[in-house]
Amino acid sequence: MAYAYLFKYIIIGDTGVGKSCLLLQFTDKRFQPVHDLTIGVEFGARMITIDGKQIKLQIWDTAGQESFRSITRSYYRGAAGALLVYDITRRDTFNHLTTWLEDARQHSNSNMVIMLIGNKSDLESRREVKKEEGEAFAREHGLIFMETSAKTASNVEEAFINTAKEIYEKIQEGVFDINNEANGIKIGPQHAATNATHAGSQGGQQAGGGCC
Amino acid sequence: MSSVPHGKTCWKSKKTVKVTRSYSTFPALNAWKEFRDLLPVDGEPNPGVDLGVEEGLLCQMVHSPEFNLFPDSAVFESNFVQVKKGRNWVNMYKASNTMALGVTSSVPCLPLPNILLVARVKWHQGQSQTWNRPSEAPDIILKKILPLKFVELQVCDCLQRVLRLRTVTEKIYYLRLHPDHPETVFHFWIRLVQILQTGLSITTKDPQILVTHCLVPKNTCSPSGDANSVETKPQASQPSESLMKLMAVGESEALSQIFADLHQHKHFSSRSSKKTETKKDKSEKNTPSEDSIPCTRDLSWRASFTYGEWERENPSGPQPLSLLSTLAASTGPQLASLIGNSF
Repeated sequence: MAYAYLFKYIIIGDTGVGKSCLLLQFTDKRFQPVHDLTIGVEFGARMITIDGKQIKLQIWDTAGQESFRSITRSYYRGAAGALLVYDITRRDTFNHLTTWLEDARQHSNSNMVIMLIGNKSDLESRREVKKEEGEAFAREHGLIFMETSAKTASNVEEAFINTAKEIYEKIQEGVFDINNEANGIKIGPQHAATNATHAGSQGGQQAGGGCC
Repeated sequence: MSSVPHGKTCWKSKKTVKVTRSYSTFPALNAWKEFRDLLPVDGEPNPGVDLGVEEGLLCQMVHSPEFNLFPDSAVFESNFVQVKKGRNWVNMYKASNTMALGVTSSVPCLPLPNILLVARVKWHQGQSQTWNRPSEAPDIILKKILPLKFVELQVCDCLQRVLRLRTVTEKIYYLRLHPDHPETVFHFWIRLVQILQTGLSITTKDPQILVTHCLVPKNTCSPSGDANSVETKPQASQPSESLMKLMAVGESEALSQIFADLHQHKHFSSRSSKKTETKKDKSEKNTPSEDSIPCTRDLSWRASFTYGEWERENPSGPQPLSLLSTLAASTGPQLASLIGNSF
């Protein structure tokens, strides 16, 4: 299916926080209570529309368990967005966020948009991490923040789509060099052809920029 | 199997051994010889591509700008049908849904592959599922990248061309090679399984170094309980004794030499046997047995394994051989003897 842009996302965070469930809810709109441990990477994809443009999200769901994380640098390379997930019912998953963030920033491009997600918001009675703590962490590290529930689908769409909107805005602002694939953004074939035509007739207007 | 797209330097260095001997003692190998004689020099047709195991749909996808994964590594791949056990093997999905399975290396100069690629393939209605240059590309969706150290591949049913794939988390898949693939392709998979299980002469020469080729425990205590229910034929996935000896002593050249002279093969075996036995005794004393590792859901113990050079993500120096050249160089008489012994 034709798309204007392709954004690469990675989902990271401790094991058992619900990364694969978030992906499944977003791509298939279903919840699977028992999910096998992820080994290596599992992939998902979905088309969304932002500003009238078709955008393909290519999502890399990574292993949370340290022993199954291999070839880590390959995962981060060229990601435009990251969903950093913790479990609001497990304090330790929140405490490990700094390590995940350091890892992500070390191996990815500096413009990568990171969405901090406090998952399992449906389990309010077992909450160990206050929403305010998540918000504070996000504010301190320049992240976007949402609480989600992969089980009830609460905020799942929003988490993925808001991340894409942020990336799209960065493209519009010229922060992302979309011709550099290391930024995790690819221009769709048709869009690229259109942009090439525009560039030829309008003196090299940047791809993705609006046409007068 | 060995021609390389321009710019893939690691693969350019591999050698092609032209074999003129006729394997009258191994009739099954004459087909192999015919194939092997096609091994290319630059500019000639690539039999790997013709067989659909190289530069196929999976390779094209992972190397495409959309993924741009392991761009300098070759991919060995085939089309499979996922099956389940019954009285006979039963297809799990509609005929139009198949699976692409491939191996590649995260670093092209690794001597062995370290990545398994799994993709879902949906063929258009009525479309011939020919893996080699289909008239119209099917829909192919990359589903998983699995480090091979977390996966155990076994030959499950040679006659039906079924592989058994078991992950470290005890997920088991049975995959039947698509009928459109010629027999030679399954022979390559058999050889790959052997290499993944036992390594190659180039992977370790020091018996003091424990090389764990696969972190999936050998004891098959599958939670699903079906790990042992399909009879596997160990001979099918274990190299012959002489091959083991060759592997223990030989440089990569030794494997290629097999084609040129079977007598040389015997000479090599006898010459190496003493040395091998000595090494074996020594290593048995010093290395723990994987069989003793408990099969448990707590998988944290696996992190303590040591790895051979070929399993590392970034080896300290370039490695001379890559998988496909190894397969091409070594899938020969020894394979026939294996198949002969087993079936």
